[in-house]
Amino acid sequence: MNASFPTPGADASQRLLSPEELEAALRDIGARRYHNLHPFHRLLHDGKLGKDQVRAWALNRYYYQAMIPVKDAALLARLPDAALRRIWRQRIVDHDGDHEGDGGIERWLKLAEGVGFARDYVLSTQGILSATRFSVDAYVHFVSQKSLLEAIASSLTEMFSPTIISERVAGMLKNYDFITKETLAYFDKRLTQAPRDADFALDYVKRHATTPDLQRAAMDALTFKCTVLWTQLDALYFAYVAPGMVPPDAWEPGEGLVAEAPARGPAGAPAGTLVASDVPRLPRGVRMRFDQARDKHVLLAPERTFDLDDNAVAVLSLVDGNRSVAQIAQALAETYAADATVIEADILVMLTDLAQKRVLER
Amino acid sequence: MNAVTPQRTAVPAPVGLLAELTHRCPLRCPYCSNPLELDRRSKELDTETWQRVLTEAAELGVLHVHLSGGEPTARQDIVAITQTCAKLGLYSNLITSGVGGALEKLQALYDVGLDHVQLSVQGVDAQNAEKIGGLKNAQPQKMKFAETVVALGLPLTLNSVIHRGNIHEVEGFIDLAVKMGAKRLEVAHTQYYGWAYVNRAALMPNKAEVDRSIRIVEAARERLKGQLVIDLVVPDYYAKYPKACAGGWGRKLMNVTPQGKVLPCHAAEMIPNLEFWYVTEHSLRDIWTNAPAFTAYRGTDWMQEPCRSCDRREKDWGGCRCQALALAGDAAATDPACSLSPLHAKVRALAAEEAAENPPDYVYRTIGSNVRSPLKEEAPL
Repeated sequence: MNASFPTPGADASQRLLSPEELEAALRDIGARRYHNLHPFHRLLHDGKLGKDQVRAWALNRYYYQAMIPVKDAALLARLPDAALRRIWRQRIVDHDGDHEGDGGIERWLKLAEGVGFARDYVLSTQGILSATRFSVDAYVHFVSQKSLLEAIASSLTEMFSPTIISERVAGMLKNYDFITKETLAYFDKRLTQAPRDADFALDYVKRHATTPDLQRAAMDALTFKCTVLWTQLDALYFAYVAPGMVPPDAWEPGEGLVAEAPARGPAGAPAGTLVASDVPRLPRGVRMRFDQARDKHVLLAPERTFDLDDNAVAVLSLVDGNRSVAQIAQALAETYAADATVIEADILVMLTDLAQKRVLER
Repeated sequence: MNAVTPQRTAVPAPVGLLAELTHRCPLRCPYCSNPLELDRRSKELDTETWQRVLTEAAELGVLHVHLSGGEPTARQDIVAITQTCAKLGLYSNLITSGVGGALEKLQALYDVGLDHVQLSVQGVDAQNAEKIGGLKNAQPQKMKFAETVVALGLPLTLNSVIHRGNIHEVEGFIDLAVKMGAKRLEVAHTQYYGWAYVNRAALMPNKAEVDRSIRIVEAARERLKGQLVIDLVVPDYYAKYPKACAGGWGRKLMNVTPQGKVLPCHAAEMIPNLEFWYVTEHSLRDIWTNAPAFTAYRGTDWMQEPCRSCDRREKDWGGCRCQALALAGDAAATDPACSLSPLHAKVRALAAEEAAENPPDYVYRTIGSNVRSPLKEEAPL
């Protein structure tokens, strides 16, 4: 683990870079090696992954999220200065939260639950890829063993993360109908947290990497961290995209999932619940007709027939894709000289029932 | 048993007609509901005859026509036949594999008024699905077909026949149905007649798998209320009560085979000594009312104990006659899928035993095969 190999072309880097040059060199590492360039992330952002592939990503990435405060605590333990510790400890607060149900890890759990996982299954980390565990553990180990400068420099991938996060939110919301804004709450916070963290760390590295060797060490640390992220995506790609070799004991689609929350309509009611302003219509494939053989009206629908009584016929005759429920109630109230509010309540029940059976739309 | 006197006024009109337009099909599913002896193209009814049958069906009181097969779009006149349904006010349901010529005929079918599409999906994983269906590259064609159905605005039902080769994919079928924009999903455990009976050992899942699949469906129904309707057909062998086969013998459905033979259910031909009539020789009304095959097990008079005195006799109508024959050796016996049948324990044990063994290879459905039902040679249980 601590063996050291000669660095080829080390001579070229022996010149002391100015702080600006160092920053440019660090940014260049991200431009070439940050994991937004990885084919798996491209698929993720472009909406080209299936639900199970997104699940695999969310599940594995949870381990990384969960270990970040462990990594930061290791770093914190080595900081000799109260002012620095006050700044660095904020990262732990961000991730762990101030109380139950708060913090970045919690938000990541929400994301994992949002794509269908049982919370306990995610917490157990039993389904993650070994490569995920090895990479993340290597990162924690690196931060606890290497110099403080290298440990802090390794966090500089945060300089690159705002771009990828906004890509991720936009890309996912656009492309995956099973991802909701609530599910992605994690990223709303990280958009402001990550730049703040990165500013401090970058400033620290620029001020403390005062020799060519230290500058080289800082760059290597950042390269190492990029590799930690890249390797996790390699493993995901290998197991869940191509060739699709899932290692023994790693998560298989279908495992660790729970029933999802019922789909909600725009008003927050279960999908299919109608309100008075909705304009109902019979979709293609649903027809009302008179059944001569049985002397009654029926509603014909996929693989089903609904017998209609006179009231239902009166209502459905007015369902034309133009009138709202309120207008239908009004029309019936006039025809039958009855109270429109009572009728409206009744027909909402009837129409909602049909909508939930998928034979009526709005 | 044969003492039933047809009471013309008492026979309610059928609501559904299963029109098996052809037995030709690009798929070779080992659980196909078609008979082992498949009709060849040369024996198929012509367009005019089908149109006459549909006219008679509408007059008789049929509301739903299921255009099935085989693969119904293998017939060049599928569009004309669908148009006839629309003109007669019959609700047309295309039961298709989505492969072969299905996609290219879809727009024309839509234009003449097709009401609904039921697409079969053999599996979620393409490799698995194509192994079951016995046709390479079928899955992408099916997905493209489903997409086009939804894009046209036609209601789509996905039909998945469940067995030990895909029971692990039940959740996947649900996800797939949601993803494809289907309004309905049928999670139909295999019913063991015809080809499925021959392949029973290769298809039978174990009880734990069946229970799990039912739990998944029940949870999904709740979660997807208003979004996806899921119909579940539970496997008979593990059930408590049998299903009312075809809604009761000669009560709701009639089935016309490619060559015009009219059956009370698609598997009825396996019952020996039943006399079937043909649409080429009798009107549909005459067949429905008087054909010996329809009157044989209509109502309750033919029943033996425990059915005869059972409270449920007009709920499940004694269960399935074909299964009674297959498992009890007597088409008039109580369906052994019923927990009240003296044979029920044996049936369960048989299912459990088969499910526990390594599955044999599939015997794929083939026209002109030499496969014969094991029924005729062996004692059933």
